[in-house]
Amino acid sequence: MSARIQFFSRKPVTKTKGREDRRPSRLRLAFCLALLLALLVLAAAGENLAPRDPYAANLSQALQPPSAEYPFGTDNLGRCILSRILAGASASLFSALAVVAVVSVFGTAVGIVSGYLGGFADQVLMKITMIFQAFPSFILAVAVAGMLGPGLENAVLSLMVMYWTTYARLARSLVLQLKGEPYIQAARLCGAGRGQILLRHILPNMLSSMVVTAVSDIGNVILSMAGLSFLGLGVEAPMAEWGLMISNGRAYLQTAPWCILFPSLALLGAVVIFNLAGDTCRDRMEQGGGR
Amino acid sequence: MVRFLFRKLGLFLLVFLGITFLSFCLTYLSPSDPAEIQLNKTGVAPTQELLEQTREEMGLNRPLLVRYGEWLAGLLRGEMGTSLRNGQPVAEELLEALPPTAILTAASMAVVLLLSVPVGILCARFQNGPLDLGVRFLTYFFASLPSFFLALAILYLFSLRLGWFSVIASGGVSGYVMPVAVLSLTLSAWYIRQVRSVVLTELSKDYIEGARARGVSEARILFSHVLKNSLLPILTLAGISLASMLGGTTIVENIFSIRGLGHLAMEAITARDYPVIQGYVVWMALAFLVVNFLVDLSYGLIDPRIRRGAENR
Repeated sequence: MSARIQFFSRKPVTKTKGREDRRPSRLRLAFCLALLLALLVLAAAGENLAPRDPYAANLSQALQPPSAEYPFGTDNLGRCILSRILAGASASLFSALAVVAVVSVFGTAVGIVSGYLGGFADQVLMKITMIFQAFPSFILAVAVAGMLGPGLENAVLSLMVMYWTTYARLARSLVLQLKGEPYIQAARLCGAGRGQILLRHILPNMLSSMVVTAVSDIGNVILSMAGLSFLGLGVEAPMAEWGLMISNGRAYLQTAPWCILFPSLALLGAVVIFNLAGDTCRDRMEQGGGR
Repeated sequence: MVRFLFRKLGLFLLVFLGITFLSFCLTYLSPSDPAEIQLNKTGVAPTQELLEQTREEMGLNRPLLVRYGEWLAGLLRGEMGTSLRNGQPVAEELLEALPPTAILTAASMAVVLLLSVPVGILCARFQNGPLDLGVRFLTYFFASLPSFFLALAILYLFSLRLGWFSVIASGGVSGYVMPVAVLSLTLSAWYIRQVRSVVLTELSKDYIEGARARGVSEARILFSHVLKNSLLPILTLAGISLASMLGGTTIVENIFSIRGLGHLAMEAITARDYPVIQGYVVWMALAFLVVNFLVDLSYGLIDPRIRRGAENR
C-alpha cells in the first residue's frame, strides 16, 4: 500500500514497535492469563460469593459509608454494594464476551468469504463493511439500542452491529495474504477442494491473529457496554450491572461517592486485566519469531 | 488529480447512500408501528381498519426503495418530519442543539491535537525515558477508564470539593472547561500512543541520520522534518478519532447537562421519539463522513507525492 491510507480504516495499523518492545516473557503471559482466569471465575461465581443478597433493599441502611459490615458501603436503597458488584460481574463481563464471540465468528466468516471468493462478492461485502465503519460507532450503537428499547439483549445486539467490521476486514486481509502462500498452491495442486483449503489450511493459520484481536477487543466492548448501561440503554433497573450502578450513583455523588467509586474501580480493573492479557498475547505473537 | 478526485467522489457518494439507507432502515428496528403512533397522537383508538387506512395515507404501504428515495429527498431539503414529543420540526430541534456540541467537539479536538502531537513526538524521541514511561503508564490508565467515571470524578473533585466550577453548566466558557477536559483526556490517551508510534517509524528512517550528520538541530529535525512527514497519518487519525469524540459527547453532555445533540438524543430515546433519533444518527454520520472525506482530499494538497502518484496510476 502506498502512502495513501485506506479510506476510513478505523484502526490504522501502525506496525512499528520500536526496539524497546521486547517479547514478553512466558511468565508474564502466564501471569496475565491467570489474572484473566481468576476474573472470569470470580464473575461466574459472583452471586454465590456475595456476602449479602444483592437485591435486598433495606432503607434504614441506605447510603451507609464503607464499614466492616458493608465493605463498600450501601446504595440509595440500602443494598450492599460489594454484593452488587460481585453479582453484576457476570452481566458486565459475560455479555461482553458473548458480543466478542459472536462478532468475531461472524466477522471472520464474512472476511473469509470476501477474501477467498474475490471479485464481485468481495467488492459488495467490503463496501457494506465500509458503510458500517463510516458510522461513528458508539452513536450507531446508541441509535440501535434506542430504537429497540432498553434491555440487555438489545444492548448486546447493538454492540454486535458496532464491532463486527474489524474482524471482517482483518480476516479478509489475512486470507488474501495466505492465499498466495506456496503451501496453499501446493494443496490445490494435490486436488484439495475449496472447503478443505479454507477450513484445514487457511483458517488454522489465521486463528491466532483473530483470537488475539478478539481478546484485545474485550476491554473496549466492556467499556461500550457500560457506557450503554450508563445511558440507560443496557440492562434494566433492579438488575445489578456496573454501568447501571454508576449511573444510579450519580444523584448521590456529593453525599455518597462510594456508590460510584467501587463499581468504577471494578470496571477499571476488569478492563485493565483484559487489555493487559490482550497486549501481552499480541506482543508475544508479533515478536514471537515465527508462529 | 482528476481521476483521484473522481474515485474519491464515487466512494463518498456510495458511502453517503449507504449511511442514509441504513439510517432510514433504523425505523424498522423500533417495535412500534408509525401508523399506530400517529393514531395515538390524535387520540383515536386504533382499530385494524383505521390502522390500514392510516398506513395507506402515510404511504407506509409503498415499496421500501420509493419511501427511502422520498425520505432522502426530504433529508437533503432539510425536512425530516416532526418530533413526536412536541411536534416541532426535527431539523429545527437538531439545529438548536447543534452549537453546544459543535463547540464541545471543536474545543476538545483542538486540545487533543495541541497536547498529543508534541507529547507523542517527545515520547518517541526519548523512547524509554522517564517521560515516555510515565506517559505510557498514564495513557494505559486513561484508555481503560470509562469516560463517565472520569467525568464524575472531575465533577466531584472540582465542583463539589474545590468548588471551582458549578455543577450545572452555566453556559459561557467556564461551563465547557470540565467537559472538554474529560473528552480530550480520554481521546488523548489513544492519540498520544498513535502519534508516538507514527513518529517512531519516521525516526528510524535514513534521512533522519542524514540530517543529524549534517548537523541539523534536533528540534528542527523533530518539529520540521519528522512532523511534516508524519502529518498525513496524524491527520487521518484525527479524522477517525472524531467518531469516538462524537460518541463521547453523548455521555459527557448528559453528565454535565449541556443541552447539545447528545442530550437531545437521549431525551428522544427516553420519549421514543423515533424521527429525532433517526435525524441525530444520520447527521452525526454525515458529519463524520464529510470530515473524513475532507481529510482524504487534503492528502493531495499536503503531500505532492500523492498527487503525482495518483496521476501516474
